[in-house]
Amino acid sequence: MAKILIIDDDPDLIESMRVVLESKGYEVISAESGEEGLEKQKKQKPDLIVLDVMMPKMDGFETARAIKKTGNNTPVLMLTAIKDKMGLDFKNSAGDPDWLPVDDYCEKPLDKGSLIAKIEKLLSSS
Amino acid sequence: MEKIKSENYLINERIRWFIKLRWLAILGIVGAVYIADKIIAIPLPALRLYGVAVFLVIYNTFFSFLVFKPQAKTSKGLVWTNSIAHAQIALDLLSLAFLIHFSGGIENPFIFYFIFHMIIASILLSRRGAFLQATYAIFLFLFLVFLEYQGYIAHYCLKPVVPYCLHKETFYIFSVSVVFISTLYIAVYMASSISKQLKERERNLEKANKLLNEKDRIKSEYVLRVTHDIKEDLSTIQSCIEPVTEGITGQLNEKQLNLLQRAKKRSKSLIFYVNALLGITKMKLDKKFKTENFSFPQLIQDITENITPRARNKNIEFTVDVDSSIQRIEGVRVYIQESILNILANAIKYTPKGGKVSLKLTDKENSFLIKIEDNGIGIPEDELEYVFDEFYRAQNAREQEKLGTGLGLAIAKQVIERHKGKIWVESKKGEGTIFYIELPKQI
Repeated sequence: MAKILIIDDDPDLIESMRVVLESKGYEVISAESGEEGLEKQKKQKPDLIVLDVMMPKMDGFETARAIKKTGNNTPVLMLTAIKDKMGLDFKNSAGDPDWLPVDDYCEKPLDKGSLIAKIEKLLSSS
Repeated sequence: MEKIKSENYLINERIRWFIKLRWLAILGIVGAVYIADKIIAIPLPALRLYGVAVFLVIYNTFFSFLVFKPQAKTSKGLVWTNSIAHAQIALDLLSLAFLIHFSGGIENPFIFYFIFHMIIASILLSRRGAFLQATYAIFLFLFLVFLEYQGYIAHYCLKPVVPYCLHKETFYIFSVSVVFISTLYIAVYMASSISKQLKERERNLEKANKLLNEKDRIKSEYVLRVTHDIKEDLSTIQSCIEPVTEGITGQLNEKQLNLLQRAKKRSKSLIFYVNALLGITKMKLDKKFKTENFSFPQLIQDITENITPRARNKNIEFTVDVDSSIQRIEGVRVYIQESILNILANAIKYTPKGGKVSLKLTDKENSFLIKIEDNGIGIPEDELEYVFDEFYRAQNAREQEKLGTGLGLAIAKQVIERHKGKIWVESKKGEGTIFYIELPKQI
């Protein structure tokens, strides 16, 4: 079964997601900061990364760019409370200052159903 | 800069008022000359008096053109506005001197009409400027009296109103002049003192207003931060409760499930509340308001799809009527959608089962009118004025529905006003409510 890396500074949220994802049979590893996440994705080679935007020090934007810069094409699913209806314009081309190389995003508070659906979709297309 | 601009704006407003007043004065002059000439039959040079009126018409037209031009409001500075005010008052005083000359000179009680201009000068000009105009008026008056006294120019007697010609009565001239001069200076002194105080108060009010706005902004930023933090925690709470209620962590007994479901429901309603508060606060702080051009019927379609199931659940007849001529609208789609949704959701919520809710969109000449009508519980008359206030919920609404943010209508009002539109409500308790939204076609 696929291995999923969750990068989020909120350990409680990680735990709640772990329960859900493990119940679906996924293997879950986690990191509580962008830096730690970068390390873990290098070493443990997850099949998908769930990444939070708002994190102290290295935020989700930076982490996503850093991951993609290494040439890694692991799909990234972003968790965000700020890309709400206001429309944060995610740009998809490298070099753009707003460049955000993520494949999909989920809004907080998380809807379990859509989280799983998005994960399944990304995994099946990669 | 801001201060000068607004002061300039105020003076400009007053100059406009002054010009309108002058049109009335011209009518008054023509009327008075006509009565004096035709009805009282005072032997006056009526043609020359009408001539002065024509002169007034000419320069008032000129100043109207200068001041009422659309760009005149903002493009010129304080110096320019001041010069216009000075020029108008000076021309008025000159015209008045001519009018007085042609209608009896020192005998004419209308000489005291000079006071009006002293008051206007005190309002429009600086104190120094007003005294300058007073001195100029006095000079005109004395010069006129002197020329008539010496016989350099003609004197038109006011017989039969004043039985004797007075223009050579030295003592009379002296006493009238003393009273005249002192009256003008005292009038300017008093009026400009009051005007100065008023100007100061205006400035203070403006300052206070700025301060209030700043404080309001700080408050909003604070609310934004707090709600954002609360939302983070709430989201996590919800994410933790959910898998347990759904049995992912193992079967729960009925009592456990019951309590957990209550906790879940309450955290959900709190998230809804926090989201509403976040939305309205963000909008308040959002300086740039990026509008887009979108299909209005499509938006109504989306709204209808959202509302129809809720209406069906309560067996409410929900009808939608959109003028076929309506195509696109300029605005922020998500905001407008949320506003209409909020009102419709309320309509459904506060209309009993089997009731009616309708949404009607009409094409007006320069705007779109959205009418949302229900035959629900209505809003008590004495509470109508508060329903758009933040956190306000009408008594009967609270009785019926314990949960509610009191923010839906406040958000709608904020949205509509940011679009330069209007929102208002008509309601009768027990009979129903109609909300109207008018959105201009051009923002």
